[in-house]
Amino acid sequence: MSTTRDLPLGDDMPQQSTRAKRGKARRIDWKGASIPWLFLAPALVIFTWFKFYPMVSGLTMAFYDVQFYGESEWVGLDNFARAFTDPDLRSAVAHTLTYVLVSTLTASVLGFFLALALEGQARHLRIIRTAIFLPAITSAAIIAEIWRILFNSAPYGVVNSVLDQFGIAPQGFLTDPGQALWVLVLMQVWKSTPYDMVIFVAGLVGINRELYDAANVDGASWLRMLWHVTLPGIIPSISVVIMLSFIRGFRVFAEVYATTGGGPAGSTETIMTHIYKAGFQNLEYGYASAVSLLLLVATIVLTLIQTLVKARLSR
Amino acid sequence: MLKRMTTHLLAGAMLLAATGAASAETLKVWSRQTDESALILKTLTDAFTAKTGIQVESYNTGTDFEQRLARAAAARDLPDVVINDDAALGQMLKMGIIEEVDPTKIEGNDQIVPAAWNSAKGANGKVYSVPISAQAFALFVRKDWREKLGLPQPKTWDDLHKLAEAFTKNDPDGNGKADTFGMSVPASTVRGYASWYMSNFIWAAGGNFVKQEKGGFKPDLESKPVADALGFMRSLFCEGLVQPGAINATTGDALPTFRSGQTGIFLSGPYHIAVLDEQPGKDKIEVLPPPAGPGGVAALAEGTSAYIMTGTKARTAAEKFIAYLISPEGQEIGMGEGTGHTPLVRLPINKTVDVDAVRKDPRWGTFKEVFDKSGHYVPPVPNWTPIRMLTAEGFNKILASCNSDIPAELKSIDQEMAAELRKQKALAE
Repeated sequence: MSTTRDLPLGDDMPQQSTRAKRGKARRIDWKGASIPWLFLAPALVIFTWFKFYPMVSGLTMAFYDVQFYGESEWVGLDNFARAFTDPDLRSAVAHTLTYVLVSTLTASVLGFFLALALEGQARHLRIIRTAIFLPAITSAAIIAEIWRILFNSAPYGVVNSVLDQFGIAPQGFLTDPGQALWVLVLMQVWKSTPYDMVIFVAGLVGINRELYDAANVDGASWLRMLWHVTLPGIIPSISVVIMLSFIRGFRVFAEVYATTGGGPAGSTETIMTHIYKAGFQNLEYGYASAVSLLLLVATIVLTLIQTLVKARLSR
Repeated sequence: MLKRMTTHLLAGAMLLAATGAASAETLKVWSRQTDESALILKTLTDAFTAKTGIQVESYNTGTDFEQRLARAAAARDLPDVVINDDAALGQMLKMGIIEEVDPTKIEGNDQIVPAAWNSAKGANGKVYSVPISAQAFALFVRKDWREKLGLPQPKTWDDLHKLAEAFTKNDPDGNGKADTFGMSVPASTVRGYASWYMSNFIWAAGGNFVKQEKGGFKPDLESKPVADALGFMRSLFCEGLVQPGAINATTGDALPTFRSGQTGIFLSGPYHIAVLDEQPGKDKIEVLPPPAGPGGVAALAEGTSAYIMTGTKARTAAEKFIAYLISPEGQEIGMGEGTGHTPLVRLPINKTVDVDAVRKDPRWGTFKEVFDKSGHYVPPVPNWTPIRMLTAEGFNKILASCNSDIPAELKSIDQEMAAELRKQKALAE
């Protein structure tokens, strides 16, 4: 009897206590969740005021003929219509695409092989890696100045003197409309290869060594291991490298502005230098905002595509 | 709505403005000059305060001036008076930040040379500024190099070409290395340098940017004189007689090549006399009128003007300050003779001030002569800035390639200019 009466009781007790525990846990969770936000609040308030709000209000300018003192005039999609018919913007987009695609591809391939060569914990490797990483942390304006000196078009310019040793005539480089963009691409490759390398090195560390051992036992060649073990293992790194490189490349400005200012003959005009000239030299804020908004949309779309491709590849 | 948002966007500017908020008695003056001219402006405003008791808070910068004005306008915190290039009138008028000026309210307005008033009017014929300084371009030449090579002062484009060639090929500095060039040229598209610089040659060739017709302006670049001017400049580029990188150079890049003895010819304004006297040195340079092109001697004339800003609460004080700027006393202080600084007033616009008597330097006389006899102001289109930008792009394109089809390129610049003039409602159809 006692057992039959005890059981439900005994059953009941833990149930009650669980419910009580759950309720308590929920309350603690709620409080716990609010604490990080409390800590974040000052930063969020400042960011909202100085960053998010200006960003959004900046984007709304795209729909106005912005006046600085009088009332700005609503022009609907006029600024966007102009963007789609502007031949200068079209060539700026073409230059930017060339710049981004070539530099991304070259820098990531070079970065990958550098990472393979310099992977490891030995001290000399660390020193070499640090040395190679230096361009990535140097200010763009300083790099631009150095490249202007290196690629001086005079016969006594550094690169021209070297070319002279091989009997090659002095080149125009940044002053030649046919070469200027490629000199800038080279600069970007030089600057981002080490950056990419570091991300790849981190990715390579994460690959399970046993997979290499297994491949070795199976008698796989170096190339096969690279293709079937290494590359699939660093897909997340490849994805990060490409995404960062795209974002960086599409908004390239300082490197171009400090070396060629968009010239010669508009051959290095990029989307950002075009926006800068429209906005800050012709003071057409509305049009500059519209092109910026389009650039933002394009970057988001590319990032999404890239994420989808990555998801497919890792499946 | 947007206006309010813009105001918020520029909250930083407002904060700055708030900390610098001044009493109603204080006149706020902004000036677009190189940093060292700030001292001359300070001397001027101090003298004005001593004379009138009106306090002046001055701010001087040579970089991003228009952008700072745009920010101040959005924050509704414009200065009372702005001292800026007269070519900026159209843009500032479009921004809606300057007020009409009644010249009769400015004491001493009758002493201003009549030609200087030309650049003070908007396209609607109303006066929006008061000229305080004028200048024209002339040629700085390395006298020591020229004399060493036994060449005459260049009087024509031909002479100029020969001199540039000799400076490039005949080792004028005698160091045994082929490391010198003829001319220092700023041909960048940034801020429209290529157009600003080429205008000297276009006018000397007898060409024009636009033709003024009934009802507005007509693009006029597609012509033989303009093609000659660009052809001449391109020959200097293609024969390697200009400094390396000239095609991407601004004046900021071009000046050091002349100062350091890399180039021997530099076409520029009198504001560079002070720095060039320091390096390469007063005894090494000479100032000559620009050589004559097929159309005679011509040079870009520019000026500096004082503008009264929209919404000022100190209009009377502003008018008094401007009257002081154009008075003989104000002009002399602005000329900064003997200070070694870049002067705020280059050539005085007050006809009672004798430049030779103040300057005691015949080179200034040369600049004055060029201004008086051969100076050309940019055409009075409503807003010159976008036209300067688009012609700079076009000229840069021509100069960048030795086999560009000059007439075809000029035609295409004309078309772009027509579109811009139409936008400004100033195209003669």
